[in-house]
Amino acid sequence: MKTTPVYEQIEKFKHDLDTCTKCGFCMSACPVYQEEKVESSVARGKIMLIRSLLAGELEVTDGLAEQINCCTLCMTCAQNCPAGTHVPSVITAARADKVERKGVPFPYNLIFRWLLPRRRLFGWVVRFVSWFQGVFMPKTEGTIRHLSFFFAALGKGRHIPEIAPKFLRQSVPVANKPLAGTPVTCTVGYFTGCMTDFVFPELGKKIIRFLNNNGVEVIVPQGQGCCGAPVFLGAGDFVNGRKMADINVKAFQDLDYVITDCATCASAMKDYVKFLANNEERKQKYSEFAAKIKDITEFLVDVLKLPPSAYRVAQEFIGKTITFHEPCHLGRYLGVKEQPRQILKSISDIKYVELPDADRCCGMAGTFSINYYELSKKIADKKADAIRSTGADVVVTDCPGCQIQLIDTGKRNGLPQRVMHIMDLFE
Amino acid sequence: MIDVKKIEKLRKIVGKENLLDSVEQLTAYSYDATNIWSHLPDVVVFPTNTEEISAVLKFANENKIPVTPRGGGTNVSGGSIPIRGGIILCTTKMDRIIEISKTNLNATVEPGVVLQDFQEALAKEGLFFPPDPQSFAGCTMGGVIAENSGGPSCLKYGVAKQYVLGLEVVLADGKVMKLGGLTPKNRTGYELIMLFTGSEGTLGVISKITLRLLPAPRSSKTIVAVFNDVAVAGETVTAIIASSVLPSKVEFVDNWTFEKFRGLLPGHILDSSQVILLIQVDGLPQTVEAESQQVVDICNQWASQIRVAADADEAEKYWQARGAHFSDIHNRAHTIINEDVSVPRDKIADFIRLGRESAKRHDVPISFAGHVGDGNFHPAVLTDSRDKEHYQRALKCVDEIIDIALNLGGVLSGEHGIGLEKQRFLKKAMDPLAIEMMKKIKDILDPNHILNPGKIWEESKE
Ligand SMILES: Cc1cc2nc3c(=O)[nH]c(=O)nc-3n(C[C@H](O)[C@H](O)[C@H](O)COP(=O)(O)OP(=O)(O)OC[C@H]3O[C@@H](n4cnc5c(N)ncnc54)[C@H](O)[C@@H]3O)c2cc1C
Ligand code: SF4
Ligand code: SF4
Repeated sequence: MKTTPVYEQIEKFKHDLDTCTKCGFCMSACPVYQEEKVESSVARGKIMLIRSLLAGELEVTDGLAEQINCCTLCMTCAQNCPAGTHVPSVITAARADKVERKGVPFPYNLIFRWLLPRRRLFGWVVRFVSWFQGVFMPKTEGTIRHLSFFFAALGKGRHIPEIAPKFLRQSVPVANKPLAGTPVTCTVGYFTGCMTDFVFPELGKKIIRFLNNNGVEVIVPQGQGCCGAPVFLGAGDFVNGRKMADINVKAFQDLDYVITDCATCASAMKDYVKFLANNEERKQKYSEFAAKIKDITEFLVDVLKLPPSAYRVAQEFIGKTITFHEPCHLGRYLGVKEQPRQILKSISDIKYVELPDADRCCGMAGTFSINYYELSKKIADKKADAIRSTGADVVVTDCPGCQIQLIDTGKRNGLPQRVMHIMDLFE
Repeated sequence: MIDVKKIEKLRKIVGKENLLDSVEQLTAYSYDATNIWSHLPDVVVFPTNTEEISAVLKFANENKIPVTPRGGGTNVSGGSIPIRGGIILCTTKMDRIIEISKTNLNATVEPGVVLQDFQEALAKEGLFFPPDPQSFAGCTMGGVIAENSGGPSCLKYGVAKQYVLGLEVVLADGKVMKLGGLTPKNRTGYELIMLFTGSEGTLGVISKITLRLLPAPRSSKTIVAVFNDVAVAGETVTAIIASSVLPSKVEFVDNWTFEKFRGLLPGHILDSSQVILLIQVDGLPQTVEAESQQVVDICNQWASQIRVAADADEAEKYWQARGAHFSDIHNRAHTIINEDVSVPRDKIADFIRLGRESAKRHDVPISFAGHVGDGNFHPAVLTDSRDKEHYQRALKCVDEIIDIALNLGGVLSGEHGIGLEKQRFLKKAMDPLAIEMMKKIKDILDPNHILNPGKIWEESKE
């Protein structure tokens, strides 16, 4: 007799699976479908494949794994779905059930299990790799270098920024107090994320300084690690994801706010409770943790309520035209849409122009862009056209992952625009 | 099942990146937007030009392999289900807009262009292709023509076939035929284009389409009117049209979908009402102003609440709520039988009344929504196919509803087509002579019956 298989994680999102009516509203919006034009790449197709999986008509084969991996989790489908089906959740769960059966493939298994949770060791490896490449790889223009291996093969010929000579957390103390004379209004924890820590430490320093100048004491807990997004969202490795979640929750347990400059880190950490809470204790801890997380622009606008005068633009950007790419994780996941725009619009020293389809996925999506670099490039090229059309001098965003993708896209497409984090604009 | 050698031959024709044959990929082509139909194809091909379509059909015809054309797979009649297996010929990779001409007011497109992409490209030029099936985010131009689709705007502007100036069609044996041209007037020979509009993929594969366009209306206004009584709402529609205003859209939703309007309209009004009419008038600003006032005045006589959307954003919210009707209803029950009858406008109130009575007799829930301005309704019977007894009652109710529509002088399908879903009603909805003629035409154009076999009429059981 045929027994129906049990998929523990997918079952938790059975409601999303059941509500899809196959209406096809998600089709024109899906960045992957727009390029591939194949049904299995769109949300509806993925839902139908996963339904067949639950019905026992399909099994977890490489072919199926391929279809559940090939998704940027951008959430555009869910935003357009009249039935309220949240496909990215179903896909994340399916990735987890796949891992449950098939394990994590090499070399990710080693990286996830041994490297990412061990911050120091990870740092050393990154450093070693960067040194190694500095020796053997040709340098390209400016600070951009061709790397063929970066955080487990981020590269594949991608233009990515050089790994910083000194990581953020080696350069700043744990407690960063405002200068004497500036009254301390609150204390926050700063979750630095891998990208800011290893690639953009100057951004991190700027953020700390900015917060200090506005009376905020910034704690950078040494115990924090990677947010886990590539591990539990990208690869579906919930076991190691949970370890990372526990590490971060502990690192920030005594703080009321967890500030991030990376929308992906922020939303991944908020989602610990949705995907990784496997007991009541974790559920409670992860929920409490989620409530403390604030994106930097959200914190500045909604909590600190800073006046426009607080945003002093660095000399080099005065008079420049700035546009803004809205990361999927910022707008759709965190619901932070207006705050960065409000900041940009309020600054009289710059001119803000809205990017056409500003919230369209840039195609980065962490591990997705490693596994599907060609596809990721095609998705990004649409972004490049939009950026070009603005005539802006600088495109800013609020996620170092998007930033890396946009830098690569800009180089490939010969875009004149500089790519920066929104917080890079300030003194 | 097609054997491996044949699949290899197809792979040669379209290239390996344009053929899918893994069980996972085939599963993704086993369904459309209907509830109950599904069947696996043996292979899916994505031709990228007319020559490839031609080569695929020639090969399939020689080997008598069924070919089901497919665009977005959003139809709700089972039209793109490969019910006999074989080849799915999917046009989604032929998605170029070849030309948009402002001076000629026409455009030529490949069949896989998504309607929404086309509409957006036209909007940039101040142009307009009115047929607007509500699946615009996924449906393709080929599908729109093959189903002769319409949507809310068809009340004023007509359905897809009224916009086709020229077609390129690949016939079952692979020959490529060109019909019509670029001009709005053309009286050369039989109106063969009309054979293919609404042909549901059974007579040929549409490989290129030239469409007539209109200048985009300068302005529009959306009016929302809420009614306590279904029949009164129906009469209001009749009264509006009789007053010589032709709105671009008049849509009807009953209280099954009111949840989507919560927050947009006062809760207590929604609680005590039965129907919402969404009305749009468009044209020159002065005309829109005058006509919307006329519509408001007429509604005022019977409606319990009237809103005129202040701006495009507010209007969009109402239209989105309307657009969510399909999924909303589909999530209310395990199985939905969604019909698509169309009745003469002056019979709208009768139709709804009789339909409700029938549902009551059979003790099944029913919801009415649709493009009421042109009498086209989507009565949906909510049931559960796993509950035999309930399901039987639902089917009986649906049979009756179709009889009611036909008796009132209406038709079986306003826009969704017959496909698999409505075959069993065809005999009572169409003159037997006309059915015979369709079969003869099919025999001429597709003697081996390879194109979308098993659709529109029930095959006699030999
Ligand atoms: C939520 C929802 C709302 C809808 N609203 C409307 C509406 O308001 N009005 C309306 O009319 N319909 C509506 N539909 C039905 C459907 O979306 C339309 O019929 C649409 O035009 C189908 O286009 P498609 O590309 O998805 O075609 P498919 O579903 O892929 O195919 C439909 C039929 O056309 C044939 N076909 C497709 N491409 C070709 C080609 N190139 N050559 C020959 N034959 C071809 C197929 O074989 C099939 O028989 C709706 C559907 C949904 C799910
Ligand atoms: S929009 Fe939602 S309900 Fe419609 S097909 Fe996509 S996932 Fe399913
Ligand atoms: S999450 Fe994004 S990429 Fe994935 S199916 Fe949805 S729209 Fe497509």
